[in-house]
Amino acid sequence: MSELVISGLRVRVGEKEILRGIDLTVPAGEVHVIMGPNGSGKSTLAHALTGRPGYDVIDGSVTLDGVELLELAPAERARHGLLLALQQPLEVPGVRPATMLVAAGADPATVEARIDEEARRVGLRPELLHRFLNVDLSGGERKRAEIVQMGVLRPRFVVLDEIDSGLDVDALGSVARRLQEATHEWGCGVLAITHFRRLLHELVPTAIHVVSAGRVVASGGPELAETLEEHGYEPFRQTT
Amino acid sequence: MTTFLDAASERIGSDAARRSFFDAFVAAGLPTTSDEVWRYAPLHDFSLDRFISATNVAIDDDADERSIREGASIVVTMVDGELREVSGQCEGVRVSTRLAGHDLGDRSYIERYRADAFALLNAALSPATVHISIEASVHVAMPIVIVQRAETSLAFANVRVDVGTSASATIVECWFGGSDALVVPVSEYHVAANGSLQLSSYQRLAATSWHVARTTTLLERDARMQQSVIGLGAQYDRARNDAELVGTGASNELHTTFLGSGQQVHDLRTHQFHRVGRTTSSLLSKGAVADESRSVYTGLIEIENGARRTDARQTNHNLLLSPHAHADSVPNLDIRENDVVCAHASSVGPLDEMQRWYLESRGVDRENAERLMVQGFFNEMTDVMPDSVARLVDRDVATVLARATGESA
Repeated sequence: MSELVISGLRVRVGEKEILRGIDLTVPAGEVHVIMGPNGSGKSTLAHALTGRPGYDVIDGSVTLDGVELLELAPAERARHGLLLALQQPLEVPGVRPATMLVAAGADPATVEARIDEEARRVGLRPELLHRFLNVDLSGGERKRAEIVQMGVLRPRFVVLDEIDSGLDVDALGSVARRLQEATHEWGCGVLAITHFRRLLHELVPTAIHVVSAGRVVASGGPELAETLEEHGYEPFRQTT
Repeated sequence: MTTFLDAASERIGSDAARRSFFDAFVAAGLPTTSDEVWRYAPLHDFSLDRFISATNVAIDDDADERSIREGASIVVTMVDGELREVSGQCEGVRVSTRLAGHDLGDRSYIERYRADAFALLNAALSPATVHISIEASVHVAMPIVIVQRAETSLAFANVRVDVGTSASATIVECWFGGSDALVVPVSEYHVAANGSLQLSSYQRLAATSWHVARTTTLLERDARMQQSVIGLGAQYDRARNDAELVGTGASNELHTTFLGSGQQVHDLRTHQFHRVGRTTSSLLSKGAVADESRSVYTGLIEIENGARRTDARQTNHNLLLSPHAHADSVPNLDIRENDVVCAHASSVGPLDEMQRWYLESRGVDRENAERLMVQGFFNEMTDVMPDSVARLVDRDVATVLARATGESA
């Protein structure tokens, strides 16, 4: 079975070390949620996994089925099965989603139909995806467009960076349903980063991990969310 | 040895009108790089004498010409500026020829182009003005296509389009050929009240040609012009596009695009002249330079005193695809009225690193990501063109990019 294994990951952004040794294993078909206070390093983890420029890995390893992802270029990581859904998806004027998805490996014969189908599943008007990538889309529409890309590309693992922010209740429900279905349809592993509990009302996690000061400081089942609800992050807070 | 001037003078003979344009050309003299508006032109190795030979060069562009003709209502074929064929017909549209060098608006040809030696030379040597006239209230649904072929070393094309009151049309013009040629087109568009013209003009000449084009648009009350100018070919590609808004409510939208490769120079000049109030002009110029090519964009927005509530905008974006390529952007404003909206923006830089990473993070490898982004840069422009020309531009851009990136690899 597929497994995404992060061990001892240390990442520096500029002069500052943000991730100070992250250890985490996500098996295929499971939903793992990372929660933590602002500035704890959640988004840094997401970006470092996909090789975003400016995020320097200083130590550690990230393997997917035994292949070291950190040695691969960003595109090769995605081709190997790791996709990031961004908190703020970028506009790429002049490039249509279908063109991009074909260049990313989607089947040209079916890509248009697949986009339309996936758009409908997350409550997005398909014609919004016939224009240029994320151009003139609202924040919430862009988030759903990321899930459409996931549905078309079917990665082995998807990392979601605060996919819930900016989504209304209905949109959040449809996105969460789509993710849950992805875990069954092709055994997609989900690593969802959030600092809102409301995502967990819709998306049932296998495990919750609390990150503070660049480390995983607690892991548990869904019940961990209730502890956070009651006491906040204070009991878990660590200083750098 | 015969010089260009001797040969030209002989060709003109005793034709008084042509002689007056030729004399004006001689008086104006060829520009030099000490003239501000010509400072980027590679004039040091330019000599008219180089273009005396009039040997025909075969053009192998049949398939591309066919694709441009696709869906046309009328196809006008011009060879070295001479009208060769008009195929198709459309009620209310007339294609005819007349002597070059007529008045446009309230100015004579010599007055309008007195500082433009090449435009004067055009009127002296052009076989004739090809005049396309669209009668009042006629709506031409399918594009009128002008196929321009430069088969010998000199092509002086002179085209005049008159769009009648409340008429509308789409014109597609495309240049083919041009091996070692001097290509000097002068195009004038007059859109009468409530008229509308959509124009796409594509220059894909041989990389050994000099292309010095001049376009003037005159817009009457509530007239509308939407113009796309694309330049991919020529060793030196100069396109000056002027729009004069003389009637209230007139609107001019100009998109200009170029892609430089090798050692090409693209020299683009625009003049949005608002002579009366409540007129609108919007200009978007996007170009990319690869290899050792360079570009210059100089745009002037001029607003006449009293032209109140004018809205004029000018945007110029340049993409640097090679560390050896260079782009200059020089926006200018001459505003003699306070009650106006006027904006300009320009940028020069390489591909956006974050956009590239975004594409890569989906699984698009770097080379493809860059290709998509550069093609995307042009897609924004081809999006507003008729399909026949957009397809050809897209394909040519892909070919040039493949060659440019292949050479740098």
